[in-house]
Amino acid sequence: MEFAVAITLDTVSFTLTLLLVTMGLVVIFGLMNVINMAHGEFFLIGAYTVVALQQVGAPFWTGLLVAPVILACVGLVLEELVIRHVYHRFIDTILATWGISIALKQSIIILFGPTSQSVVNPLPQPVDLLGVTYPSYRLLIMTISLGLAISTFLFFYRTHAGLAVRGVIANRMMAASLGINTRRMDRATFAFGAALAGFAGAVMAPIMSVDPQMGVGFLIPAFLSILVGGTSSLLGAVLGSGIIGTANTVVSSLWTQVAAQIVVFSLAIVLIRTFPEGLTGRKR
Amino acid sequence: MMRKSNNIQIPTAATAAIWLAILVAPLFLDDWGVSQFAQYVTYGIFAMSLSFVWGHGGMLCFGQAIFFGIGAYLMALTTLEKFSWFGGSQTVGLLLAISGPAVVAHLLGRVLFGGRGLQGAYFAIVTLCAAVIVEITAQHWRFIGGFNGLLGVPPLTIAWRDGVDAYMTSIEVYYAVFFAALAVFAALTMIVRSPFGSVLAAIRGDENRTRYFGYDTARFKIFAFTVSGAIAGLAGALFTAQFGFVSPALCGFALSTEVLIWVAVGGRGVLMAAFLGAILVRSVESYLSDSLGNYWLMALGILFVATVVLAPQGVFGRWLNLPLPKRLRPAKVDDKSAQEMTGMA
Repeated sequence: MEFAVAITLDTVSFTLTLLLVTMGLVVIFGLMNVINMAHGEFFLIGAYTVVALQQVGAPFWTGLLVAPVILACVGLVLEELVIRHVYHRFIDTILATWGISIALKQSIIILFGPTSQSVVNPLPQPVDLLGVTYPSYRLLIMTISLGLAISTFLFFYRTHAGLAVRGVIANRMMAASLGINTRRMDRATFAFGAALAGFAGAVMAPIMSVDPQMGVGFLIPAFLSILVGGTSSLLGAVLGSGIIGTANTVVSSLWTQVAAQIVVFSLAIVLIRTFPEGLTGRKR
Repeated sequence: MMRKSNNIQIPTAATAAIWLAILVAPLFLDDWGVSQFAQYVTYGIFAMSLSFVWGHGGMLCFGQAIFFGIGAYLMALTTLEKFSWFGGSQTVGLLLAISGPAVVAHLLGRVLFGGRGLQGAYFAIVTLCAAVIVEITAQHWRFIGGFNGLLGVPPLTIAWRDGVDAYMTSIEVYYAVFFAALAVFAALTMIVRSPFGSVLAAIRGDENRTRYFGYDTARFKIFAFTVSGAIAGLAGALFTAQFGFVSPALCGFALSTEVLIWVAVGGRGVLMAAFLGAILVRSVESYLSDSLGNYWLMALGILFVATVVLAPQGVFGRWLNLPLPKRLRPAKVDDKSAQEMTGMA
């Protein structure tokens, strides 16, 4: 019983963080038709922002605020310099963002070195929950991520600006002719997606080993989530990260991390093969 | 755009000249230089395998190193007599290193292209994930050496010589690799210029339209993928015989993306350009990586982005794009249509 509770809590916290990364990817893909391979590095930079702030002695919580801001700026610059030039060459967006990802990761290595850094856990005190002792910081992550995910949903489905974004996703030409500034929207979306990933990185920094490879470690489950869930709506991201996150956590706690990765990947392949448009995708 | 009719011979002449230059290169290099160059040519073979499947078949494979790595491992396992029933035969090793990856590529192709099939980006992401998974598996598989890989793979030998003499000198290794590269180039060029290649180009251009013409596009793609896997495997086998070791990194994600960069920088749509891209990037890397250190990889990433944004055909693509085969040339050379047909996706 206690074991089950612990696994459930682990699953929920991993899934929610994965959701933050995945949502950014889905929105960027849905709106701009850009597959952002550099998204893992946005996550990485978020985590290293916390490391850097810790080195100068700033309190941990400032990192949660600073990381999204930095990443939003990084996103804006990259969108302006690179992404907007390859919008109409779909496959090339993968390559261009991949190049960006290499350059970003390497700059992190140059700045911080290739070894892993550790971030002090700001809430070391565990709490008792349903009979299990659980790290309170993880509970906090869940709360924050859940709150952020819900606000993102509310933004997209309950506000005027969100309606405009969904309009552009549904039909870019039509939205543009109705007077929506799609250019500005692209820019804002890319920055927003980057900020989400950066925030996820900052939040996860205390409970992960912060090293230059951690971005890829998150990028791949995020991609699998998108493929499994479908790219047509944010709901796909929820479903996808739910499936991938659950499978990953459950198998890795029952078995090993390696087995988890192999099982998750095989599961994803089967799902993708059976539902090429994703579970929520409609047949076109 | 330039007028094609005037310089239709330049790519042919340039291609021939480059092969000639590679043929005589050992005359101007010392022993160490020759063995270095042989390694670059091996990477060039690997690059051609990706150029074939991506530039000509339109399948962006982010996991090409899977096949390279499997080839390398099969070669190492055979020659180290881990597969004891072959007695460490290098010939068997090479054959396995070519056929093994081909089988894997075929099966993967069947899974991914069969039915409704995965397209474009989906295929790229799935192959990317596959490379990561294969690398992780190799790291934890005791039989093939786990994290450390396998050391002490014997170098290439010549069958009719005995004892220590049997090991090839660096010049001999160079020419073995050279002729393998030339053979691969010739074979792939023939495929690309055959009617099969035309269908492949059509699939790259518009898969749905090709399907409506009545072609079973999945079978064409699976075949191309299989050929590409076999060639990547051959490159892996040659690599491991030269370096003397295999490690999980050979089938992973990093090498997969590195070869992608070579091919993109050289020119994805032209075999020779991709080949040259690999040689160029590797040479510059060995020349600069000492002085630039960590900055080299960053520079490479930026160069890659710049190539993709500014020169999608790559650095050499335009200069080495061979003229169309005779059967596809319009009776009267019509600039516009010729360009449309050679234009790369």
